[in-house]
Amino acid sequence: MFTGLEFEPIDLPATAEALRTEVRAFVASELPEDYWPNSDFNEGHSPAFSRKLGERGWIGMTWPERFGGGERTFFERYVVTEELLAAGAPVSAHWIADRQSGPLLLSYGTEAQCRRYLPQIVRGECYFSIGMSEPNSGSDLASVRTRAERVADGWIVNGTKIWTTDAHRNHYIIALVRTEPPSDDRHAGLSQLLVDLHADGVTVRPIRNLAGGEDFNEVVFEDCFVPDEGLVGERGNGWTQVTSELGYERSGPERFLSAFRVLVEFVRAMGNDPSRDEAVLLGRLASHLMTLRRMSISVAGMLQQGGSPAVESALVKSLGNDFEKLLGELVRLQAPPGHPRLERCLRQTLLHSPSFTLRGGTREILRGVIARGLGLR
Amino acid sequence: MDRLIEDTAERIFADHVDKGVLDRAESGEFPNALWDVVRESGLHLVGSAQSGTEPVDLYGVLRIAGRHAVPLPLAEVLVANSLLDEAGFITIAADGVAPWARVADGVLTVDGEFSRRFETEPDTNLAGESRDRVVLVDAERVGLPDDLRERLALSRVALMAGCLERILAMAIDFATEREQFGRPISRFQAVQHNLAVLAGETAAARCACDGAVANVDSSGFVHHVAAAKARVGEAAGVAAEIVHQVHGAMGFTHEHSLHHFTRRLWAWRDEFGREGRWQETLGRRIAAGGADALWDFVVDPSPHISPSRLWS
Ligand SMILES: Cc1cc2nc3c(=O)[nH]c(=O)nc-3n(C[C@H](O)[C@H](O)[C@H](O)COP(=O)(O)OP(=O)(O)OC[C@H]3O[C@@H](n4cnc5c(N)ncnc54)[C@H](O)[C@@H]3O)c2cc1C
Repeated sequence: MFTGLEFEPIDLPATAEALRTEVRAFVASELPEDYWPNSDFNEGHSPAFSRKLGERGWIGMTWPERFGGGERTFFERYVVTEELLAAGAPVSAHWIADRQSGPLLLSYGTEAQCRRYLPQIVRGECYFSIGMSEPNSGSDLASVRTRAERVADGWIVNGTKIWTTDAHRNHYIIALVRTEPPSDDRHAGLSQLLVDLHADGVTVRPIRNLAGGEDFNEVVFEDCFVPDEGLVGERGNGWTQVTSELGYERSGPERFLSAFRVLVEFVRAMGNDPSRDEAVLLGRLASHLMTLRRMSISVAGMLQQGGSPAVESALVKSLGNDFEKLLGELVRLQAPPGHPRLERCLRQTLLHSPSFTLRGGTREILRGVIARGLGLR
Repeated sequence: MDRLIEDTAERIFADHVDKGVLDRAESGEFPNALWDVVRESGLHLVGSAQSGTEPVDLYGVLRIAGRHAVPLPLAEVLVANSLLDEAGFITIAADGVAPWARVADGVLTVDGEFSRRFETEPDTNLAGESRDRVVLVDAERVGLPDDLRERLALSRVALMAGCLERILAMAIDFATEREQFGRPISRFQAVQHNLAVLAGETAAARCACDGAVANVDSSGFVHHVAAAKARVGEAAGVAAEIVHQVHGAMGFTHEHSLHHFTRRLWAWRDEFGREGRWQETLGRRIAAGGADALWDFVVDPSPHISPSRLWS
């Protein structure tokens, strides 16, 4: 009998737990008095903070030592990331390079690429953007139109990427481009190019979001020359590579902790003798959070064993994003009046909540991935 | 859990529980043949001191029993045998109600009384499972752990987790076989998305259950059970709704076996505390620790962990 997707229960090893205390002490000592914590991984861009994490060895933790990595387990990385998010530390600068660009280079990049970029990422000095979406290609990623034409020693790139988080302050982008004309096989002819965001022929324009922030961008390539060594992996293998990235992108604690600080402020506002309704809601949300955390740690275990848990990641992200949205909505109904910190958190979460179920793959796309995993399509 | 126990339980329940057995049990007929097979296999002793098995095996057997809606008071028998020296058909009464008391050899109450003499009156829960009213005669006092109600709540969590696995399988099978508009309904995106949600709730329930089972003897057990009973109870409601929607009118008939599973989910999420009761326990405990200890609690709900005041 098919009994569903397997999530093996995992107890974090003692080495990972020991790290937890260290991270907490570090965060407490590093964040300024007036720092306003935000557990959304997209908020809080601080190169200074990222460099300090790098000094501690908390970026590229699972990577090989010869590229500056820590050769630690995915469980240790898990603990560091969840502690940073729960504390609301400013992690967005290095987040994508650490989570997925580095691992992508390790899987598919050349020795020279790894030597050049990974040590800088590990030091917390080098930041990457994801160049997947385009104005006419969102969920249907295989339809991207940005073209790279072969020339002597490299490629000429033309096209537009959009919603590119932090492209205006990051160093590089890994862009999914067409290197062959479209054919019957939609997934063929795609490649990934690593492009310097400050190169000639690249224009980055920030796009203001509804919360008033400028985090994502339009990135336009006009006859931008990318040298041969910019090709990541194999020409034509872009689709396989980009899908493998998504396993890293989707399963982490950032997929259910975006609204966590709302819960912290809700507890502060209710005090230690809450009404029944307040206690019931708090308990409900905590039961979801504890369960999601177990699931996410279980996926860390799959990564540790070298697996590619695409379906399991989609499932954790999907449940996690729904939870993040529910959290704000439900706390709003019970929030006692007169607590400015709670109101501020609620407002911030509400204004960002539309993005929770879009970025990194929409809820509908994730459900489709799960349905495929169930053998329905 | 032990592989041999898992396979034995799965095989015995799959071979000996069918719609006929379930219907007869519901009309009040104790499934003697099934009980004999279980006793001969020794499954009724899993979790007891002399069996050399662990809590993970005990609750694992219950999860598999949930997959098959086994119409025996296995939760009570297994938990009782894990606590008492004498092994046999002992059921457990909570608030004057015990499954299949009328055929049991002995009744233990959650308040620490035990007797082999008792009076019973048949009654059922909303799934038609025996929940006899029972009054003990000549009861003796026995020493019991003070978390017995939590253990019984966890038994319902395990039963529900298994039952969810079964209805997910039933929903997938039905959706791939049933055709409308010239194709299997599993081809429709709306149906696929419902099944994806069902798979998510099933996986979440399993993880919540595993988390509590792994902490049976830990100091944070009560909180792990509270989280699990609350989360799995919620999953049961969502899942039962979806599986019925997918099955259409056929699933609303008595003839179809689906209701043996969904009615059990509705019954079990109520037994030993509805979601709200456990949510409140959890919420009060977290509130007492304060905002800055919230994350610490989520990571490790053991009471010995001192609240961390490292950040605000
Ligand atoms: C804050 C934020 C940051 C982002 N950062 C990046 C980034 O750094 N790099 C990057 O490349 N992208 C980024 N994105 C883009 C993100 O990946 C896309 O928004 C997402 O893939 C959806 O694409 P779309 O917005 O074009 O919506 P569309 O694909 O047009 O979808 C619109 C709606 O239609 C639904 N839909 C589409 N196709 C189907 C289907 N087959 N079945 C059912 N429903 C369907 C979708 O689920 C959605 O509800 C970011 C987005 C946000 C909001």
